[in-house]
Amino acid sequence: MSTTESQAPAAARPVSGVTLAEVEQFLYAEAALLDDWRLEEWVELFTLDCTYEIPATDVPDSDPGLTWSLIHDRRTMLEQRIIRLKKPEAHAEFPHSQTSRIIGNVRLTDRLEQSLLVEANFLVSRMKAGKFDQYAGRHYYELVPAAEGFLIRRKKSVLAHDRLDPQGKISFVL
Amino acid sequence: MPQPYVIDKREESLFQVDREVFTSQEIFEKERELIFADAWLYVGHESELPKKNDFRTRDVGGRSIIFNRDRHGDVRVLLNTCLHRGASVCRHPKGNQKIFTCFYHGWAYRNSGELVNVPAGEDYANAPADVYGGLRSPRVENYRGFYFCNFSDSAPDLRTWLGPSAYLFDLATDQSEDGVEVLEGTHNYTLNANWKLLVENSIDGYHAKSVHHTYFEMMMELGQTPPMLGEGTVNGVPPVGLGTEFGNGNVTLIYPGNGLPLATEQVAHNLAELRGKAVERHGEEYASAVFNLARNSVFFPNFFLIDLNFGMIIRTIMPLGPDRTQATSWHVAPRGLSQESLQYRIDNALTFWGPAGLATPDDVEALEQAQRGFSARREVPLSDISKGIGKPRPAANDELQMRAWWRQWNYVMTGEQLPAEVEAFTPFTTREPSRKPQEA
Ligand code: FES
Ligand SMILES: [Fe+2]
Repeated sequence: MSTTESQAPAAARPVSGVTLAEVEQFLYAEAALLDDWRLEEWVELFTLDCTYEIPATDVPDSDPGLTWSLIHDRRTMLEQRIIRLKKPEAHAEFPHSQTSRIIGNVRLTDRLEQSLLVEANFLVSRMKAGKFDQYAGRHYYELVPAAEGFLIRRKKSVLAHDRLDPQGKISFVL
Repeated sequence: MPQPYVIDKREESLFQVDREVFTSQEIFEKERELIFADAWLYVGHESELPKKNDFRTRDVGGRSIIFNRDRHGDVRVLLNTCLHRGASVCRHPKGNQKIFTCFYHGWAYRNSGELVNVPAGEDYANAPADVYGGLRSPRVENYRGFYFCNFSDSAPDLRTWLGPSAYLFDLATDQSEDGVEVLEGTHNYTLNANWKLLVENSIDGYHAKSVHHTYFEMMMELGQTPPMLGEGTVNGVPPVGLGTEFGNGNVTLIYPGNGLPLATEQVAHNLAELRGKAVERHGEEYASAVFNLARNSVFFPNFFLIDLNFGMIIRTIMPLGPDRTQATSWHVAPRGLSQESLQYRIDNALTFWGPAGLATPDDVEALEQAQRGFSARREVPLSDISKGIGKPRPAANDELQMRAWWRQWNYVMTGEQLPAEVEAFTPFTTREPSRKPQEA
């Protein structure tokens, strides 16, 4: 529908031309920013009306806005989360843990008028003070095509865990 | 025992705990026997079983249990172990089911417990149903919809055990005329530290400024003064708050409630409305206790009610080993909130609490560091919990509440009864909660 594209100020370019390879490159680049703790740059990947969510492990399909989820951040709280994580008094993450993430099984699941729905599996390995943890699950994205790359309107990370054990916490950005 | 676990020297204003209690396998096993066999242990809330035949399986006091509403609508707690050879009869976390069938040999039980089917039952000279009856149940009682069980026949009833601390459940439940509900979603996480360290931490007002420095900075940045840095007195409770004890190791700390960080006008309006209705039902003084004070309470040994009024959390803490602990938490909200208000409460609570919040991971870090430090317990054998000892009205950031919990722990473990430190008190008039007719 050609008219909807002209009504889409958020999307700097049409969703119809986006390729899967382009989406994959974007997700890999995002993963690299997180592994490098370049969080200020990472948060700039998000739109102003974004949400960053992790549902509770026992209700992976629930709406994190209305259930007791693990994370439900809008832009302000997301910014505060990363400001905090950069301070030495963020005790659980200082010195920063080392992470290495593999993003795979990337699928472009839907093209909306101004945005794309994308799913990808993740496996994040984290080493901190001699302890090795892994986090597995699937990311669900709503991506808005930007002049270069994309902006993230929604990122929902669903853990494939039935409880947080042995990791016990999510003290960094998944 | 050459050395007592708990050293309570009132004349020297000193209270200490032997660090061995955080590391010893022997003490861990003794706790399982003594602490968790004889206490009222939190199981769940009535709102988690809205329909007949609803069930949830949980670990309570180290036992696997089924918390369910049977086909008659009665709430039950069944021990999730087959009478035949012990397998779990229910392996799902939740569902709706009239019959629980053991997958091992197929014995089947009604959700009220009776054994109703034994495959090839004719091979038994004595019918198993006649010999064994049905699934076993501990004692079950509830206070205002919060269900507890007790594995001992000799313990006093729930209301007696709660004593005056029961009013903390009233304050939580009376936020809405329809009571409260537990939301879907469970925070289920482990830590590598002794369970008693998390008990202490959950009622420790002293560590907030140091451990959660970054959180308070964030609050200030968002234009919100944390309550402990404020100056208002609410219902006789000063900004520094008050700690008190109620006997049986049940304790609370009360402090002026936080404001409403990042609240929209609509949210503030909805809350004012809720408060207005509470004033009509219970009067201004009680409503102000409900809505303008915050409370962190522990009901011995391991149930926590953290009632911050813009967000309420309950939490249980279970030992898995001397240096390994399981924490489970749920969010509780007044029934009938608008979607916007509900979301506001959840978001508010989430920014602080939980394993992915902006505060809890730092608590866990502190406890794991303490546990690590206990490796030098031979050289440095004692932990200190003396802050505020001897004060007639200790503040929320004193350590009375921990000492009271420890004295009960010590009593259950050793039989030695140490006298209470302060008299139980409430900073305002309590009232009998109003009951809806169908609950009468
Ligand atoms: S153990 Fe349950 S039927 Fe045999
Ligand atoms: Fe804390």
